[in-house]
Amino acid sequence: MSEAEIKPSIHFWLRRLHSLSGIFPIGVFLLEHMFTNAFILGGPEAYNHKIEFLRSLPFVAFIEITFIGIPILYHALYGLYVWGTGKSNLTWYPYPRNFLYTLQRWTGLIALIYIGYHAYHTRIVNALFGTEVSYARMAELVSVPWVFWFYVVGLFAVMFHFANGIWGFLISWGITVSQKSQKIAGLSAALVSLALFSVGISSLIHLVNHP
Amino acid sequence: MKEKKPEKVIIRIKRQESPEAKSYWEEYYIPYRPYLNIITCLQGIRKTLRTFDGRPTTPVAWESSCLEEICGICTMVINGRVRQACSALVDQLEQPITLEPMKKFSLVRDLIVDRSSIFENLKRVKAWVPMKDTQDRGPGPKILPKDQQINYALSRCFSCGACLEVCPQVNERNDFVGAAILSQARLFNRHPIGKEIQLERLKALVGEGGIEDCGNAQNCLEICPKDIPLIDSIAEINREITFNLIHLIKGK
Amino acid sequence: MTTSTKKEAIVIGGGLAGLFATIKLGEKGIPVNLFSIVPCKRSHSACAQGGINASVNTKGEGDSPRIHFEETLHGGDYLANQAPVMGMCEKAPSYIYLLDRMGVAFNRTPEGDLEFRRFGGTKFHRTAFAGSTTGQQMLYALDEQVRRLEVEGLVTRYEGWEFLSAVLDDRKSTRGIAAINLTNLEIRTFPGDAVIVATGGPGMIFGRSTNSMICTGSAAGSLFQQGVWYANGEFIQVHPTAIPGEDKHRLISEAVRGEGGRLWTYKDGKRWYFLEEWYPKYGNLVPRDIASRAIFKVCREMKLGIDGKDEVYLDISHVDPKLLKERLGGIIEIYEKFVGDDPSKVPMRVFPAVHYSMGGIYIDSRQMTNIPGILSCGECEYQYHGANRLGANSLLSCLYGGEVAAERTQEYFDGLSEKGDSGSLRWLEQHRKLEEERLESLLRMHGKENPYQIWEEMGKWMTDHVTVIRYNDKLKKTDEKLVELKERLRHINVGDPTHWANQAVIFTRQLQNMLELARVITLGALRRDESRGAHFKPDFPNRDDEHWLKTTVAKWTPIGPEFSDEAVDTSIMQPKERKY
Repeated sequence: MSEAEIKPSIHFWLRRLHSLSGIFPIGVFLLEHMFTNAFILGGPEAYNHKIEFLRSLPFVAFIEITFIGIPILYHALYGLYVWGTGKSNLTWYPYPRNFLYTLQRWTGLIALIYIGYHAYHTRIVNALFGTEVSYARMAELVSVPWVFWFYVVGLFAVMFHFANGIWGFLISWGITVSQKSQKIAGLSAALVSLALFSVGISSLIHLVNHP
Repeated sequence: MKEKKPEKVIIRIKRQESPEAKSYWEEYYIPYRPYLNIITCLQGIRKTLRTFDGRPTTPVAWESSCLEEICGICTMVINGRVRQACSALVDQLEQPITLEPMKKFSLVRDLIVDRSSIFENLKRVKAWVPMKDTQDRGPGPKILPKDQQINYALSRCFSCGACLEVCPQVNERNDFVGAAILSQARLFNRHPIGKEIQLERLKALVGEGGIEDCGNAQNCLEICPKDIPLIDSIAEINREITFNLIHLIKGK
Repeated sequence: MTTSTKKEAIVIGGGLAGLFATIKLGEKGIPVNLFSIVPCKRSHSACAQGGINASVNTKGEGDSPRIHFEETLHGGDYLANQAPVMGMCEKAPSYIYLLDRMGVAFNRTPEGDLEFRRFGGTKFHRTAFAGSTTGQQMLYALDEQVRRLEVEGLVTRYEGWEFLSAVLDDRKSTRGIAAINLTNLEIRTFPGDAVIVATGGPGMIFGRSTNSMICTGSAAGSLFQQGVWYANGEFIQVHPTAIPGEDKHRLISEAVRGEGGRLWTYKDGKRWYFLEEWYPKYGNLVPRDIASRAIFKVCREMKLGIDGKDEVYLDISHVDPKLLKERLGGIIEIYEKFVGDDPSKVPMRVFPAVHYSMGGIYIDSRQMTNIPGILSCGECEYQYHGANRLGANSLLSCLYGGEVAAERTQEYFDGLSEKGDSGSLRWLEQHRKLEEERLESLLRMHGKENPYQIWEEMGKWMTDHVTVIRYNDKLKKTDEKLVELKERLRHINVGDPTHWANQAVIFTRQLQNMLELARVITLGALRRDESRGAHFKPDFPNRDDEHWLKTTVAKWTPIGPEFSDEAVDTSIMQPKERKY
């Protein structure tokens, strides 16, 4: 009779790191970022001023790479690996949570593409070519209809992924245990994300309406 | 359920003579009667050994025992959804009724699969109270009714494998132990003496195929025929692991 | 596991009795090979609902093992041998504690102590229970402990293997067993110095019963043909309350009545609680044989079943739903799933169904059969329940029988001078060839008969004539039918010549053995011209201690079972008139 062996595995730790990285630093950065975006609603001056301030922070490149770039890259790549370990079965088991499970994976992918595009045009171009990032440039970018809609979709993907991610994080770390607490946590996360999503959308619309 | 009762029950069974053989579908019928369940239908089929169009055929291989949904042996995929055949009442099923073996376990023949991996995994998480012996030693520890109720709910798991069948994280690329095993680990970690080897159980669950493979799709909760709070169990094990992260990193 | 110095034991059957014997053997350091046709966790013990009896007397009612003993004897109409029953009742409280330590989720009092409820044939709260799936919970606890022993290397499990026969040498000593792998039909012989048979009851002989589909009694039937005696076969318990079904009759536990459930039907347009009227002292909690006969009388004789059908009401709808959920949840779930009504709102409809065999493999007072080295425990032996078993005593007898069998095995090993392996291989190999030939000859048969059809006919005859009410002419006819079926079984076509998971050929083998036991049951009943416990003949309505306070012992011969009697051990108390 085969003895039930336990093979030690690095994946538990990588998975927990993945879960954690989604909240910290990525989630924290997302909050900060959406807060900054809200300055768009205050007009070009307020927004540009805010950007100036951020850019003037010491070690900004180091902070960006260590706390934003690498975590997002890790979260994305390991996330893709995790996607590969599963196999969706929505057709036969169309339960709401199963739907969210599948959606989490797809929104992760969309968010990755979106963030890549977004980061390139709003940050990397600056680093490579010195293109100035400002209210005006943002307005110009989203004035192209497909870019606008791409932003809407991307923003939605990010926000859904974030909300559902918080819910999952709370379970994966054993913070919400009972089904009731999981439900409350899920709803709360959804509300927070919805709020952030509205901020994002209002900023976008503001940019289009007030170029 | 339905207003008009059909005259016959049509049943399509996915057949496969052996793990190596090719699978094919065969259709059968039996005369309709009230309160028919899938087992009664299969019993009817084995007495005639005829397909729908009257061709002679070999007996369909299927397992059953208690017929009260407590042994778990007759678990199969009925109309695309995994469940116990004994409690699948024909009156509540769309016709034609399709029967398939579970897909997440290796096939033996027709509707029979090999679920021994579940029992092997129970060994892996040491799903027992570590007793030194079974000599008389007086009453056990006191347990309050509210704790007993939780323990009882968990210990009703009859290892049917439905939670594995519906889990998107269980597939040929991934040998996730699944919700039932995690829930059993929780049950014995709750026991005053079972707790003694809690860390060993957790260690097993941070190993390969362990808890990190859970994707929170929570299909297990939806499908569990005994309504076991499986997702509470998974979260609880996660919590225990969080509290013991340092011990687990040390590996001791 | 082929060390030549260490004697090995074989346990057949992974239910409560087999698992407990395995644990006890393992603890003694005796290596065990454990065989079970299904994974142990799926054994029929899981179906036991109501609980397990033990006079722990936590309610200050003055209960004691002695009273438990007396009520068990009284319930069994004094046919049980008294010393073993006494041993069992004395040991009972320690088992409850042991199971509790193993983690069985027994229901609790508000203070966290064990809770007990009432059951049939007693006025004491003597039954410990885990919801209404006590057997399941106990089975799992033992299964887990065996798994622990397995990891420790003391036990090897063979799940998915079916026992075929014992390997006996020319001196009729045990050399091991032959078993078949149910997946690839491989027949193998396994050496063993002692074999504990714990293969459960033979309910399938009656076609539909409350038993699981695996309860064929085939192992006992096979051993019977090898010379193991069979005792008191005619005592078949018919449980008063089951949901009649086409595939099986689903048990509705006595616990329902223990928690206040009442049996009634309509008489003159009004509810008639017939048991309460006929048996004012015990009411709905009379022993099962009495309740079943009462329901038969109501439905068949008085024609007062619901809508004239074979059904009466079992009503629990007046009990607090929360209590019902905590204590009877599993039963309510079964009724809801299979019938569609909620018993906490609507009375259940029930009728008696074959449930348990008091009779079984003949053993001495220490679980050894007449063949040295073959022991038996659990429902498949006959020792503890006399002519009628009290509810919640079966789980207890499984544990007690299992423990005694393990002890007896060790004593037997101590008495064996050498491990009997000289020449064992020859006996094992010879026997394997014999069993293989039997299997092949079945696979070669191309007759017209379908084994399942024959089984159905046997079941119908047995149920109609050898259950609650028995008449000698009908019993005779039934035996003639059984002989006819045996003959027809020789012209069978299993419909599948392959060696891969071929269930039809396996079933045919079981059916051969079932028919042997069916004759023992029927002819035993025919012989016993009295009424005692579950055995009731309207033509002989009284108990006849003078002639029949005896154990029926059946021995196999090629022309049919041969019967003799054995005195019953009445060393502790004199039989009394059985009144409730």
